[in-house]
Amino acid sequence: MARVEELIANNESRVLCLGNEAIARGALEAGVQVFAAYPGTPSSEASTAIIATASKLGHYAEWSTNEKVAFETAYAASISGVRAMTACKHVGINVLADALFSAAYMGTTGGFVVLVADDPHCFSSQNEQDSRWLGVTAQIPILEPSNPQEAKNFTKLAFDISEKFETIMILRSTTRISHARSDVEFNEFESNFREGEFEKGMRYKCLPAIARANHPKLVAKMDEIKKWIPESGLSIIEGSGNNEFGVITSGISYAYLKDALSLLKKDLPILKLGMIAPLDEKTILEFARDKKNIIFIEEVNPYLEDRICALLLQNNITPKIHGKSSGITKRYHELNSRLVAEALQGIIGGELTSVTEIENTSEENNDFIPFRPPLFCPGCQHRAAFWELSKVVRKNKGIFASDIGCYSLDPWVTDTILCMGGGISMANGFARVITDKPIFAYIGDSTFFHTGLPALANAVYHKANITILVLDNRMTAMTGFQPNPTEVIDIVDVAKSFGVEYVVEFDPYDFENGKKTFEEALKHEGPTVIIMRKVCANEWWRQKRRRGEKIEVYTIDPETCISCGTCLVQYQCPAIHWSLDTNSKGKNYSVIDPSMCTGCSVCSQICPTGAITKAVD
Amino acid sequence: MTETYQMIVCGVGGQGILTITDVIVMAAQKKGLRVLGSEVHGMAQKGGSVVTNLKLGKELHSPVTPIGSCKVLVGLEQNETLRYMKYLEPEGTVITSKTVLYPISWKKDKNTAQLAREKIEENLAKYKARIMRIDAEGLAVEAGLALTQNIVLLGALSQVKDFPLSADELKEALKLRVPAKYLDQNIKAFELGISTVSNF
Repeated sequence: MARVEELIANNESRVLCLGNEAIARGALEAGVQVFAAYPGTPSSEASTAIIATASKLGHYAEWSTNEKVAFETAYAASISGVRAMTACKHVGINVLADALFSAAYMGTTGGFVVLVADDPHCFSSQNEQDSRWLGVTAQIPILEPSNPQEAKNFTKLAFDISEKFETIMILRSTTRISHARSDVEFNEFESNFREGEFEKGMRYKCLPAIARANHPKLVAKMDEIKKWIPESGLSIIEGSGNNEFGVITSGISYAYLKDALSLLKKDLPILKLGMIAPLDEKTILEFARDKKNIIFIEEVNPYLEDRICALLLQNNITPKIHGKSSGITKRYHELNSRLVAEALQGIIGGELTSVTEIENTSEENNDFIPFRPPLFCPGCQHRAAFWELSKVVRKNKGIFASDIGCYSLDPWVTDTILCMGGGISMANGFARVITDKPIFAYIGDSTFFHTGLPALANAVYHKANITILVLDNRMTAMTGFQPNPTEVIDIVDVAKSFGVEYVVEFDPYDFENGKKTFEEALKHEGPTVIIMRKVCANEWWRQKRRRGEKIEVYTIDPETCISCGTCLVQYQCPAIHWSLDTNSKGKNYSVIDPSMCTGCSVCSQICPTGAITKAVD
Repeated sequence: MTETYQMIVCGVGGQGILTITDVIVMAAQKKGLRVLGSEVHGMAQKGGSVVTNLKLGKELHSPVTPIGSCKVLVGLEQNETLRYMKYLEPEGTVITSKTVLYPISWKKDKNTAQLAREKIEENLAKYKARIMRIDAEGLAVEAGLALTQNIVLLGALSQVKDFPLSADELKEALKLRVPAKYLDQNIKAFELGISTVSNF
């Protein structure tokens, strides 16, 4: 990944970086003055880069408590005439959508760009939501880059377009753009930071009468932008061929299409759209007018296909349509060049090397390839917390509503995971209809401040009989250890000030205490709040190693070990594995890998025979 | 080189997959090649399966290498090598460590684990690929640092026929990428990787 020095170097150079870092550089070259975001894979590295360079370049950048807060912060700066930006993942845009839809009516004066990174294939997400529709529903122009270089260029361009038309801009990326690594050309830049100037008036008040007047203006603005696109150079027609076929595409799908055509050794006329909302109707109609077949290559939803088919119909152009409607590509998961080549082969012919043999061999081997899911890290306090909790939850046949974070990896007790902050509210709902079992909610510190606060207030207000467990590991660990308000606001104080009567805090490694606390909490009418506080083991361990400090690891005595598997099969500590040799009883025993052990001591507490002790040098 | 060179590096989170990917792309850039790759984020610390796709060449478009497309696969763990074999060209080259790291599913079922472990080599052999199995762990220890197993494989990679980067070019990039205090061990690991494949 690119280093901070590379990201801020004010010169022409070709730098190896992630797509997200290219986007960050684009924003820096554009002179972004205010940046605010909440992390979310696959968008986080863009924010990390802009925040990491703030002290060097002098812009203001923050990790906000959630996407809506971030959007509003950046938006206020942009309507004060300075360049501002926010970034989120696709589901994060739902959180800020309330502000987005109304801000679209009001527009902006300083450039304002919203980066949204979609995640086709759910690599690290709960759905495959397609953000391109915001161009229609929220009426916001969207640029969609097809590689990291374009991602950088489009980010800069987005600020210019935003100011030219006084509109909010969306830059839409996907995992394969954001997490692509490439050599990207950086340019010189000039930061032109200035004092904000807010022009008072009626424009920025979304009162009904004003909104009613603003909406026709927004529609007209989108029409104006639509008419401008052909001269922007954002729509590119390339490839050659007769009028038999034409392909329309955008974003990463364009990249797959180019590789697919070279696999097939074919050439086709392609219309690549750089701006996907509003649609460049003039160029699309010119391109499609003489074509007998139009092929759509795009991921997930038939966004281009449905919208462009409507456009063609309105203009009495009736080519044969090949796309999601004819099933050439799926409406789910991501594409790749092979899938696109196969889709095209059925329409335009061409030769593809057969992979049947590879597929068959791979199929035969499938049963032998072990599932290797991501697990809690060695020493993770979520694992320790869940281990103790699982006994209490199971014993009482409790319902367990969890949330979004590292703790989503829990293999034992979780019943529901819905969305950020959904755990406490769902527990409230369960408690209204399931009264003979205890109801638990689980939430991390970052999610607690993100959307847990309103749910906690609601639970207190309506006296929900639930047990709320907050694991405070002092950072937003899942997305890369970002800081959050837990650094300065004590969650114990928050819960107490909200009026929660039973608030207890304990160390999740302290099992004896933990068990007592959980059982005690259940005796109280809820809501009760239990806070388990311990800095993220992963980060703690890494820092300690970096400082060269000694880590007191644990070891297992082969002869005392009875091979019960409590530590490695049930507790699933990744630092523990079975021995290759056997002990005097002829059994494989558990072994701790000292290079992975964090010295958390939990295995020694749960071992039924006391075989695990601190290693002696 | 005119053709795009596609490859894959895979293993388990924490094995240094991104480090050797870094060295390869740094060397490629120095040589004036364009690079484009795709990587999995967020699993590095969590022991999940990690893979990076990489393309080196002149005209590059998509960052993903689909089934049957890679010239070489570098695997830091044998189960992961097996998992990603399908992305290799039928006659491609595999450089895999002999290391086997037990996934949680194996810890639960010792019999399955035993059978699957015994069958790894047999299953790998079902592909037509040329397979080099390397005792990366042993050689890394010999180099003086167990964490350099990835670098041993990088050394071996430099000897693959038609691989677009030479041993010297990789070594120069390696010097820039690894911590100075462990440079000697890394260089030794790299050299051991080179010499081990001369026996294949």
